[in-house]
Amino acid sequence: MKRLKRKKVNVVGVNGDASVTKEPNFGRKQKLTEIHQALISDPVDIETLKRAAATRGGLLTDEVRRKVWPKLLNINVYNLPHRPGRDVRDNHRDHNQVVLDVRRSMKRFPKGMPASERAVLQEQLVDVILEVLKRNPQLHYYQGYHDVAVSLLLVVGERMAIAMLDTLSNYHLRFCTRFLQDFMDPTMDSTKHILNYLMPILEQVDAELYDFMMRAEVGTIFALSWLITWFGHVLSEFKHTLRLYDFFLSSHPLMPIYLAATIVLHREKEVKQTECDMAMVHHLLSRIPQDLPYELLISQARDLFARYPPSLLARRAALQSHKSLSISTFQAFQLSTLHQRPDSVLQRLTKAHGAATSGHGLGAALSRDRGQLWGKGNRMVKMAVWGLSATLGAAMLAVAQTAMEWGPDVLLQLF
Amino acid sequence: MAGKDYNHLFKLLIIGDSNVGKSSLLLRFADNSFSGSYITTIGVDFKIRTVDINGERVKLQIWDTAGQERFRTITSTYYRNTHGVIIVYDVTNPESFVNVKRWLNEISQNCDSVCKILVGNKNDDPARKRVDSQDAAHFGESVGVRVFETSAKENINVEEMFMAFTHMVLRAKKQSQNRAEREREREKDTVNIGAQRDRDRRKRGKKCC
Repeated sequence: MKRLKRKKVNVVGVNGDASVTKEPNFGRKQKLTEIHQALISDPVDIETLKRAAATRGGLLTDEVRRKVWPKLLNINVYNLPHRPGRDVRDNHRDHNQVVLDVRRSMKRFPKGMPASERAVLQEQLVDVILEVLKRNPQLHYYQGYHDVAVSLLLVVGERMAIAMLDTLSNYHLRFCTRFLQDFMDPTMDSTKHILNYLMPILEQVDAELYDFMMRAEVGTIFALSWLITWFGHVLSEFKHTLRLYDFFLSSHPLMPIYLAATIVLHREKEVKQTECDMAMVHHLLSRIPQDLPYELLISQARDLFARYPPSLLARRAALQSHKSLSISTFQAFQLSTLHQRPDSVLQRLTKAHGAATSGHGLGAALSRDRGQLWGKGNRMVKMAVWGLSATLGAAMLAVAQTAMEWGPDVLLQLF
Repeated sequence: MAGKDYNHLFKLLIIGDSNVGKSSLLLRFADNSFSGSYITTIGVDFKIRTVDINGERVKLQIWDTAGQERFRTITSTYYRNTHGVIIVYDVTNPESFVNVKRWLNEISQNCDSVCKILVGNKNDDPARKRVDSQDAAHFGESVGVRVFETSAKENINVEEMFMAFTHMVLRAKKQSQNRAEREREREKDTVNIGAQRDRDRRKRGKKCC
């Protein structure tokens, strides 16, 4: 059955590449429409966005990712952190390590990218990481954190990457935020703890494979880099990494472990045919085949999660110790994502707030980062909000709101 | 599997600070290749190379580890059953040399007795060299560890270092086998529970080398 499914999946583009998608654009178009509708709903329809991110094809394009990822993390794109100044590099305990790792991250950048462009992005990457670490002195940099940061940076740009990484490190790694935070303790004990969920999942699904791996005493370190980099470190195709990021950003913090389990289960035959020896099994499993059927594995991971939720595994495997904090924070985070305003509203509110308080020129910085699309609307709103009294502003909001319901074209015409 | 294709199997471990060239040394020795753009090692993995020592086939399973301190709780698991540990520093980075002491400490915490070698890598540009060969040699003498200077990039002394170390590990194995042999002879005469327990303890302690 696995094989059958795999064949089916192989003919489907995973990164929204229409040319290799066998099904007509219908499904894709419909998904894009759904995502768009969800984004302009007030409050934002977060459940639809999560479903879109997890189901086949994920968020399809980087343009959609730039809009949806912030929503998945409850980030206001109109209130992003400022670009770090030079002082971000001063005297940080992890500065040297970050620079060393970023320097060795060349493979993470697109192959055709000119060296000069890559060099600029690598500098930004150092700044992004150090800025987030500086904001969170309790967090400790780990090798692999830069793999998460670069995946974000390449899609959403410097300032949004800071906001996302910050949230991931604090919440996602709690929710999502708890995730990274667990990895960012002074030692790796929490990380080891999270890895402990892997074997109980395998035990539930394939007792024979579980026994084999226990006999080999292989441990779970083969999955360490998968977990702490969300697979960014081990996949050679960036589109696959992005597909997984869509999935993880919309899922429970422990989902990467479930995906790790599906990968091991997927390779069950290979594993069992290997010599039952720690080194041999570790060696086999640490190397991820590059042609994995990601869509199939993602749906299997979701199934596994539904059938064997972390609470069940924790009970069975006596894994309770760390659990409660991470799960409760995750739930709180999830709740907080339910009441987000659509960007059009956020933009106005943020502007209005900015004008009323500091009068800060967020717009200029934003348009640099967010591209022309946002810039255009931004200038218009700036004029609208700054130029109008509060009453008129409210009227404007109502008009825009209605326009949103009609669709983006109407909105563009309006502005 | 149809019989062993080697006479001895040794597990070696490469440790040392981040960015001293651990993965590069291993790649040079196992695959004879070098690339300036390695990625950070996260976790652990190994490569295999089989060499010939005085007509005996010695299979080396060489484990490469992450250098960042916070990974030590994880890498420490891999000291188990290790026959030899290669501690690497970067001759252009004095701090990595200073930290060798901490790595030696790490070894003594995880192994009772194990063969060790100290390797100063990136030794290919005198202008950039900042750890003096004499200083390294003196330090090596003081802690009873042989020192090699290598360059994985320019392929200088890498083969020699690994081969010399393999000799050391093989010699250590044979010496301990001989010791065990002599003990067994002795125990034939005086079999008692106490000696048996002693032997067991020694056996366990020996595991690392």
